[in-house]
Formats: sequence, C-alpha cells, structure tokens
Amino acid sequence: MIIYLRSGGKLKDRLKPDVDQYTRRIEVEGDKPLRDILNEVGVPDSLVAFAFINGKLERLEYRPVDGDVITLQPPVSGG
Amino acid sequence: MPLSTDQRERYSRQTELQGWGAEGQERLLESSVFVAGVGGLGCAAATYLAVAGVGEVVVCDGDVVERSNLNRQFLYTRDDLTRHKAPIAAAQLRRLNPDITVTPVIAEINRSTAQGLIEGADLVLDCLDNPETRITLNRAAIAASIPMVYAAVAEYTGYLSFLNPPATPCLECFVDGTRPAVHPPVPGCTVGVLGSLEAMEALKFLTGTGETLAGRLLVVEGAVPSFDVIEIERDPDCPACRGL
Repeated sequence: MIIYLRSGGKLKDRLKPDVDQYTRRIEVEGDKPLRDILNEVGVPDSLVAFAFINGKLERLEYRPVDGDVITLQPPVSGG
Repeated sequence: MPLSTDQRERYSRQTELQGWGAEGQERLLESSVFVAGVGGLGCAAATYLAVAGVGEVVVCDGDVVERSNLNRQFLYTRDDLTRHKAPIAAAQLRRLNPDITVTPVIAEINRSTAQGLIEGADLVLDCLDNPETRITLNRAAIAASIPMVYAAVAEYTGYLSFLNPPATPCLECFVDGTRPAVHPPVPGCTVGVLGSLEAMEALKFLTGTGETLAGRLLVVEGAVPSFDVIEIERDPDCPACRGL
C-alpha cells in the first residue's frame, strides 16, 4: 500500500520529501503500526509528538491504510 | 458591578462584539486568571488579558530577566536584567490598565506549590517552558477543577488547546510529559501569535462568547504556513484524569 507522510516543521529534513516540499510517498509492505514505519524511514518516533490523519489525532500505534496522508508534528515545549 | 462611564468607553470596541456587551465586560472585570510563566507566551497573553479588563491577572514566575529573553519578552528591557520577571511584568501591565489588579508572584511551580498558587483562579494559562512543570500544573488544575489553556512553541511551530476535563482531554491525554526540556530557538512572533491565541481562548471562555478549542488542538506551522484544528480525545488510561 502507499501512504503519504507530511511535515512542515523541523521534521521535514528527516522526512526527505519527494512528492512536494512537505510530503514523502512511502510504500508499506504488510500491516504495521505507524511507529515502525517511521523508524524504517529514518524518523525516530522520539521526534514525533503528534500524528494526525483526516483531522484527527492518532497514536503511533495507528495502522495506516492505503492512501492515508499522515501529518507529523514534532515535540514542542517552549514558552 | 455596573460599568463606569470611563469603562464603557475604554472597553467599547470589544463590548460591541455580539454576545459580549456590558454584561460580558462585567463578568471579565470580576474574573481572575492565573498566568503560569511570564516568558514569551506569558508576556503576550497577560498583556491582552490586562488591556481587555480581566479583573485580576496573577503573573507567576520564579525567573529573572536574561539578555536572551529580550527578542520576545516585550514587557522587559535591558534595564531589567537580573531582576525577577513577575514584579516587572505586573508594573507594566498596571501601566497599561490601572483599572485592574495585577498580582505578581515570584515562585517556582512544582508539586508542593502548584495547588496553592492557582487557588481562586477562574482559569489557568499555561505559559510555561518545559513539559514537567506543565504536567504538574495540569494535575493541579484538574484537582482544583479549574480549566486550563495549553500552549507550547518552538521555532515557527505552536500548539494550543482548551482543557477542562472530564468534558475535554487533559494535557496528559495527548502530551508526553516525560520528554526532556529543551530550549529551542523561538522568534518573538511565534510566542506573540500563540500567547495572543491563549488570551483569545481566555476571553471567549470568561465572557461566554465564541467557541473555545475544547476537544481540539490547534497546530500552527508558521514555516509552511498552516493552521490546522485537530480533534483530540480523552485517553481512558490517562494517569491524570482517568476516573473523572
């Protein structure tokens, strides 16, 4: 299946976008949690605070389905 | 208490808002907001609360002013270096609006102090700079049944939500408080936007106008730029709010 990972923030460089400047197309084999997919593409899950799909926050245990566009957000703690 | 002639004129540009009116302004003048941290977020948020006429603004911070604060913490100047932030911020806010009470508190927010510090507030604003203290504040707000506005920033990124469990998630339902504190680069404009939005959440809640971000997380990506509103849900296993 094909999924799309997006990030506009500091994760963008890790993500190595290839569709547009924010989006990377990923071919995923088998059914696996987002956490594993991120680790496989070189984005450690420690660098991801939130993932949202279709306007809803999902945990990194979420198992993507074909065509998902998943936006990744970094941990942010400043004030 | 009915608005004075001076107050009617001073606040006229906001009392004209649908649903706000003199009654909303009177509610605001009778409200107390605890601003946890008067750094970047806190300077912006407290300023807009003060000029809007929130009756009591409590500004709490244990830190002193450092030179590296001055790119974004606009209530301070070079003359304030090494002085505690809270009294300086309070004096500036009083100058902006002598109509209200501004209470400075020089204190660290921790497990021993948090509950006592926020007592009596109608709303808590999280303007802190590290996950651990945010979690402490979250737990104190839950214990006292006081709603809290959450915001956090780094670089051009910011997050914001209105937390009032059990009606909404609490902070620990969606934020990992065990991550180490970092001091990321932050331009003043990012904390200005997010701090202003915190004040906006507060003013909506206190006047009963508009809709808060209850159950939703605003994600600001200034570098793209984009503003996204994401649904968030309570975590049934949340260590802070399960069982409420």
